[in-house]
Amino acid sequence: MLEYLWLVPALPLVGFFVLFVTEGKLPDKLVGVIGAGSVGLAALVALGAGAEFVQSGEGSYAQSLWIWMAVGNFTPSITLYLDPLSLVMTGVITGVGFLIHLFATGYMWKDHEEPEGLSRFFAYMNLFVFAMLMLVLGDNLLVLFLGWEGVGLCSYLLIGFYHRDPENGYAARKAFVVTRVGDTLMAIGLFLLFRELGTLDIQTALGDTGQLDPGMATAIGLLLLGGAVGKSAQVPLQTWLPDAMAGPTPVSALIHAATMVTAGVYLIARMKGIYELAPVAQFAVAIVGLVTLLISSFTALTQTDIKRILAYSTMSQIGYMFMALGVGAWSAGIFHLMTHAFFKALLFLASGSVILALHHEQDIHKMGGLWRKLPVPFASMLIGSLALVALPLTSGFYSKDAILLTAWEHDTGRWFWAGGVLAAFMTALYTTRMMVVAFFGETKTEPDDASRINMWGPLVVLCVLSIAGGWMGIGVLDGLLGPLGEFSHTDPVAVTTVALPIFGVLLGWLVFSGRLDLSTLVASSFGDALRRFWQSGWAFDWVYDRLFVKPFLWVARVNKRDIVDLVFRITASVTRGFHHVGALTQTGRLRWYAANMAIGLIVVFLIVASV
Amino acid sequence: MAIEVPVEQVLMVAAGLFLLGLLGVLVRRNIIFLLMSLEVMMNAAGLAFIAAGAKWGAPDGQIMFMLILALAAAEVAVALGLVLQISRRFDTLDVDAASELNG
Repeated sequence: MLEYLWLVPALPLVGFFVLFVTEGKLPDKLVGVIGAGSVGLAALVALGAGAEFVQSGEGSYAQSLWIWMAVGNFTPSITLYLDPLSLVMTGVITGVGFLIHLFATGYMWKDHEEPEGLSRFFAYMNLFVFAMLMLVLGDNLLVLFLGWEGVGLCSYLLIGFYHRDPENGYAARKAFVVTRVGDTLMAIGLFLLFRELGTLDIQTALGDTGQLDPGMATAIGLLLLGGAVGKSAQVPLQTWLPDAMAGPTPVSALIHAATMVTAGVYLIARMKGIYELAPVAQFAVAIVGLVTLLISSFTALTQTDIKRILAYSTMSQIGYMFMALGVGAWSAGIFHLMTHAFFKALLFLASGSVILALHHEQDIHKMGGLWRKLPVPFASMLIGSLALVALPLTSGFYSKDAILLTAWEHDTGRWFWAGGVLAAFMTALYTTRMMVVAFFGETKTEPDDASRINMWGPLVVLCVLSIAGGWMGIGVLDGLLGPLGEFSHTDPVAVTTVALPIFGVLLGWLVFSGRLDLSTLVASSFGDALRRFWQSGWAFDWVYDRLFVKPFLWVARVNKRDIVDLVFRITASVTRGFHHVGALTQTGRLRWYAANMAIGLIVVFLIVASV
Repeated sequence: MAIEVPVEQVLMVAAGLFLLGLLGVLVRRNIIFLLMSLEVMMNAAGLAFIAAGAKWGAPDGQIMFMLILALAAAEVAVALGLVLQISRRFDTLDVDAASELNG
């Protein structure tokens, strides 16, 4: 099957083209079959290719398709490169991607705002899967960048899918512009890398990193980190992700939880050779991860929109991955990427079921008491939450523990460990809050469950993966990515790491089910100010608005008539002036023309005679 | 007995005729008179050709006069059509009335 690797990205691309050129004229059922089927087939091919790759025992497999362009020494080729890292990513993208596509055939069926948009939706989704696969399979940084921008475009298109509401268009533009900041940094990093090493082939470049001087390696590492920070919604470019929840829920699950936002983690893991040369850049990765996971886990505690809670939770989980890469726990970071894709996709899809059953109500305070009425979404949310909180035996437990305990053993890692454990406690607190408020207590909105097998089927599969993904990771990834580390769970550090989330869940249960009354504390002026500060996402949006948006709008207003354009406007008006003068001679009087001809002739004669 | 007329005198007459015609074109407003003045100018040119041909004893001058006669006939045919149109559209023969094609 390995020689059919090219089919993995090709199938979603074909799906996209079919849906795109038929312009929504296909019947809805066929659209669903093409949209989900193309990704499903890609998943099967990826499974076969992956199995053969693992059996072969080779370290990597490259399939050259063609030379993209040949400009002097610069000949980037379209080559698919399979190694354990890209195999894990491909598995997540096609496997989880297929489940989400399948769920979407139910979720987007006769959609409330865009009943005609099913074909458009699946066209964008298939294009996204194709671009994401090019990102992870490309053996060349230029191909990677192509996929990188492709997923950004699809993210923009799908956030603004409900384009009738201008708010959604604003959210889409915000996501596009903010990630563009990171992409610019990344592009500069790629230029520097090309100038230093003369190639953008990842494997060749990583083999030649010895030629880089440490300062240059640090610069390239930091610039690539800039790109990763933008795409993965880390501080300081994280503000777009909560607004990106304007898109349909399957989009949030696929793009803004399971795959695209982890592209930054993939990039850094892929460029491992550079970061090993540049400890400063690697430390910066860890710092970014730590700051993000702390900020976003506090913010998640105060949100009321279920999707925004999950969005902030995604940011903090990706923060864990960045921290893992930063402290050198490379395989633990990728392991967490995989388990996070399982349980966060599960959480988003389950919340999508709830949202659909409540006729697009997303405020958790208007839910309540749903556990009896929506058993499948509730069970899915519960299992996803357990994995998110990292309670023992769930998949999140293994990956998060691997990160935190590796961090503890790192030179400067104790602070990272402390921050990570605090955030794990906060994660337990906000997850419990979400579950208790949305699913227990009294019923505030009567649900109307219409989900069929194509919706709860993926939930069940993801439930299994969220639980079993951990053991699978220990068994398979250990061999593929390198050892995750052996940890005894008896020393105090490990016990604290395990116990704090459990304590968080208990505390959360007491507080949010009303058994422990903290309302006076929350209502105090300090508590209220702190709550509003957290709810605004630590005021990042406010600061950016003052720092960038307002000044830019001011300049745009001042320069409304475009100073550069003045040159051309002056040229135009001078020409028009000459035209008016010239037009005066055109009186339309025949005799006037005859007289002018005669005078002209006389003048010519006089000139000729005088010469 | 043929009287020898010096070519200079013939050219002077031709120049006089040409100026008379030009003056007519410039000052008359009636389109019929304008066309007649044009004919006068063309005949002045023809006279100059004849005189020059006689001086060098070449037939070219007379051939050119034949051409001018043909040209004048064609011009009159077109011009009379224009005259008819102008008189129908503007109900006058004044050329200054047909001055709508201005800048």
